[in-house]
Amino acid sequence: MSRLHFIAMRLVKTALVVFAVVLLSFLLIRLAPGDAATVMAGQSGYADEAFMKSLRAEYGLDKPLPAQLATYLGTVARGDLGTSYVRRQPVLDIILERLPNTLLLDAFALVVAIAGGVWLGAAAARRPGSAGDASVTVLSMLFYAVPQFWLGMMAVLVFSVWLAWLPPFGIETMGADYTGLARAGDIAKHMVLPGMTLALYYLASYARLTRTAMIEVADQDFVKTARAKGIRESQVARRHILRNALIPLVTFAGLQASILVGGSVLVENVFSWPGIGTLAYEAVTARDNPLLLGIFIVTAVLVSLFNLVTDIAYSIADPRVEMGR
Amino acid sequence: MKKFAAVFLGRPMALVGLAVFAAIVATALAAPLLFARGPFTIVGMPLLPPGAPGLLAGSDVLGRDMLVGLAYGARISLLVGITSTLGAVGIGVLLGAVAGYYGGVTDDLLMRVTEFFQIIPSFVLLMVLVAFLQPSLNSTVIGIALISWPQVARVVRGEFLSLRGREFVQAARTLGMRDAAIIFTQILPNALPPIMVVSSMMVGSAILTESALSFLGLGDPNLLSWGSMIGGSRSAMWVAWWTTVLPGLSIMVTVLALNFIGDGLNDALNPRRGR
Amino acid sequence: MALDRRAILGAAAGAPFFAAHAWAARDGIINAMMTDEPATLCYPLFNTRLVQEICGNINESLLLFDWQFRPQPNLAQAFEMSPDGLTYTFHLRSDVIWHDGAKFTARDVVFSCATMLPQLNPRSRNAFSHVASVTAKDAYTVVFRLKEPFNAFLLSLMASSAPMMPAHIYEGTDFRTNPFNIKPIGTGPFKFAQWKRGQFIHLTRNEHYWRPGQPGMDGIYYRVCPTPEQRMVAMETGAVDLALADDIDTVVNSRLVANPNLVARADAYNGTGEIRVMELNQRRWPFGDRRFRAAFLHALDREFMVKAINFGEGKVAHGPIPSTAPYYDDKVLTKYHHDPAKARALLDEMGLKPKLGGVRHRFGLMMVPDGGGAWTRGAQYVKQALSEVGLAAELETTDWPTFSRRSGNWDFDCDTNSYGEYGDPAIGTSRFFLTSNIRKGVPLTNLQGYSNLEVDRLLGQAAVAIDRAEAQTHYSRLQQILTHDAAMLWMYERKPLLFHNRRLKNVVMGPNGPADGFGAVTRA
Repeated sequence: MSRLHFIAMRLVKTALVVFAVVLLSFLLIRLAPGDAATVMAGQSGYADEAFMKSLRAEYGLDKPLPAQLATYLGTVARGDLGTSYVRRQPVLDIILERLPNTLLLDAFALVVAIAGGVWLGAAAARRPGSAGDASVTVLSMLFYAVPQFWLGMMAVLVFSVWLAWLPPFGIETMGADYTGLARAGDIAKHMVLPGMTLALYYLASYARLTRTAMIEVADQDFVKTARAKGIRESQVARRHILRNALIPLVTFAGLQASILVGGSVLVENVFSWPGIGTLAYEAVTARDNPLLLGIFIVTAVLVSLFNLVTDIAYSIADPRVEMGR
Repeated sequence: MKKFAAVFLGRPMALVGLAVFAAIVATALAAPLLFARGPFTIVGMPLLPPGAPGLLAGSDVLGRDMLVGLAYGARISLLVGITSTLGAVGIGVLLGAVAGYYGGVTDDLLMRVTEFFQIIPSFVLLMVLVAFLQPSLNSTVIGIALISWPQVARVVRGEFLSLRGREFVQAARTLGMRDAAIIFTQILPNALPPIMVVSSMMVGSAILTESALSFLGLGDPNLLSWGSMIGGSRSAMWVAWWTTVLPGLSIMVTVLALNFIGDGLNDALNPRRGR
Repeated sequence: MALDRRAILGAAAGAPFFAAHAWAARDGIINAMMTDEPATLCYPLFNTRLVQEICGNINESLLLFDWQFRPQPNLAQAFEMSPDGLTYTFHLRSDVIWHDGAKFTARDVVFSCATMLPQLNPRSRNAFSHVASVTAKDAYTVVFRLKEPFNAFLLSLMASSAPMMPAHIYEGTDFRTNPFNIKPIGTGPFKFAQWKRGQFIHLTRNEHYWRPGQPGMDGIYYRVCPTPEQRMVAMETGAVDLALADDIDTVVNSRLVANPNLVARADAYNGTGEIRVMELNQRRWPFGDRRFRAAFLHALDREFMVKAINFGEGKVAHGPIPSTAPYYDDKVLTKYHHDPAKARALLDEMGLKPKLGGVRHRFGLMMVPDGGGAWTRGAQYVKQALSEVGLAAELETTDWPTFSRRSGNWDFDCDTNSYGEYGDPAIGTSRFFLTSNIRKGVPLTNLQGYSNLEVDRLLGQAAVAIDRAEAQTHYSRLQQILTHDAAMLWMYERKPLLFHNRRLKNVVMGPNGPADGFGAVTRA
């Protein structure tokens, strides 16, 4: 199967999955008690039957469910994700405003996790069974077991309050109105604590994965052959062991794409990072259904695309893998 | 079986994990006997530090005994962790077995469903489910089970796919055994090792998820769990660090113990993977 | 200030203060915070405390009220009441201009009071229901003719109840969708400048403000700051100058009070006269029985609630009228002190004996969502205290839409809520006890279903009594009956703290605090 064919098939599959996500999310959310009318009535403190009825008519909530679904699918296909009940703004606009913040944080966390994880895992695999190896293992297990939101709070307590090295909340210093380089620096400073908190769990995963993979691969015949051929140890490590060990890593990283929203909800909440995670939480607690639905859709699209990219990367890294199933 | 036990018990970390976990379970079960009053009883002024008279772990933001709260919190964490994992395993084994054994369309369907769960941000889905069902112990357990079963199903499916072609299965078929019997009496016992490993890790992650939900205020408001203790201490942290630190350490120690056990099980059940 | 000294000293045991940041060029700006973003900035449409505080700078009312709740001229420079109490004449200032340059005239007052406010604002609707007609005698004179004398009429003209809205912007339009809802036009010391969604709302000084010497500052920024911890840090670092009611969780009050850069005011919300209450759906057994309600109150140690849950902020409430408000009569109140034995006796008398597990009765307690703050703590305490007398309250977490819907539709057993007095029982208190205000589907009404003909009569008579002494007699009898009946479960009076940075002064100029705007604020 040619690569192009493969990509085309995957895109079609992605579209189907996203459609399924839209359908199921719509049903789930519409079935929940309460709707736009309840939300808005609650906001203005005025909720008699006549008012609610007029609101429902305005939002098309009095039509039967299949009709509502059809309307919704139609608008989504046109790129319109509806209007938020609570903020009275277009959902897509709200999401696009906050998405870069989450992507920035996630990218930073991913880089730290992979770089740190691979480094630690490789170092541990060099000398299996040593004290260094054991400590890496224990440390990884510790990070696996720690609740992310609690880790975040501890980070704030230690680094912001006791040591006063880093700011505790938000994405930039409120009211300072920095621009250009100063602004980038300010945001970078604010990103350290939440980014590290987010990264540590995945760092632990990658460290263990890398370590296991490298140990396994190091034992295999083709590496022993390379060594016998007299190739230098470092070259052996880099070209053969690492490259092959990276395959499960890439797979795992692809699976981690859902940290895009799911994993960052807690960290964003603790650090008041204005991203999609906090948006999702606000949407759930305010029963802002269009916003919630919009977040599901945008996330599904992004994750699918990310998976596609990693699948391609996977096939490049290991040409032995057949494309398609 | 003997070899399994030998390997497992030969791992110091696994032993430590088992011992610690046993201690936590014991504390949880014995809590009503150890403490005269429940965790909600107000014993004094709020935010008294550990070491205050009669308060080994201090008092929380409402003036309740932290130590009693920590002990009772263990009950909730363990209860939710274990029941939701049982639920997830139940569903996952059933669906994964059917998909893996029959293959074809059923398998395709299962793969699509698990893909759906992979793409949707599962924690957000959990929040929606719990909010929909109204926050309670039941909704927490059901919600966590619903977002965790795909993991089990994938593992079970994989095992069944590889095991169904084996000779003993062919033999059973020739003998006229019905499909259901083959699945449950022939293949499933052989698929148990990875299921056990996944389950033990799942209990730990279920505990973490439950604490996250409670922290966000989406847990059962009538129960005291470690997560809700941390959530209630968000503002108090600045003036009373113990209200945040102690419940967090409790979660960490419990999950760590479970992970040690899981690792030990993994080693014992997969003797090929040498160290 | 009713603050716990020990709590203040205890702040030393907590985390160190955040150091104040060095800010450049912000002298003339007031920096405030928003807990979340309002849906709109049209106060009559969206009656929340946040919008009230922002719009207090933009929209003004005819009158201001001093610390004794006496009316003072504002947009109305003079006013008279006819001896029979049926006619009120207001003489408006002739030098007031709207932020867009149009002149403020009687037409705006007539439009606001006769059309816009009664249509949108429940509190105004209540107050203006006594009004027969509003007419403009000339460009600067407005005459209100009442159906019957209403002695709280002037108080209903507070900025929080009756801001004047521009007729030339709103008349003839659909109020809910008017574009100026997100860029409001008013007459106040600050005018709307910019709303950057997700970040801030910026108000800038009104150069043509009619009050000489005001505003003292150049602008106000309301910055989005979603969590209480964030807001606390923002105050300590000096990123913001003002923390308004409920911005800070009472748990950390001690930190802010002990902070040398900050000033704490406990009197900024006296005009609201807020009481935290619990309501019982009296249509459901056994909540309709007076003895049950009395037992409920006896089971609670409300002194502890104020001291330990609210960290000293507030005072136990013994009746429907706050102790700082006019007509409060301590002598006639039936007080329910913490007495669990008495509670049990009352429940026994009712026939609610303890059954299996010692539980006499199980019911639901619907909580207002506040992310684990004082409301949640209060509900948890109540649950615990009630369990000690055999009543099992099951806490129900809700979100605001669900809470509104369920309370409005009487789909609850017990809930927690909070009500403001707004200066006069006819405005703030009557709406919860009038039989005529039992309206299904509408929140902030007589949700409990309490109905007492004598109470109806007293409320009616008191509202129209011209003589304050006569009104007092009626209100005293009212308090006597309502407290004897334990008509509502009053928990405690709130005196929320307002914190501001020492670099500002004149932040709180009257009992309505921020609702009257920050025109008088200057640098210290």
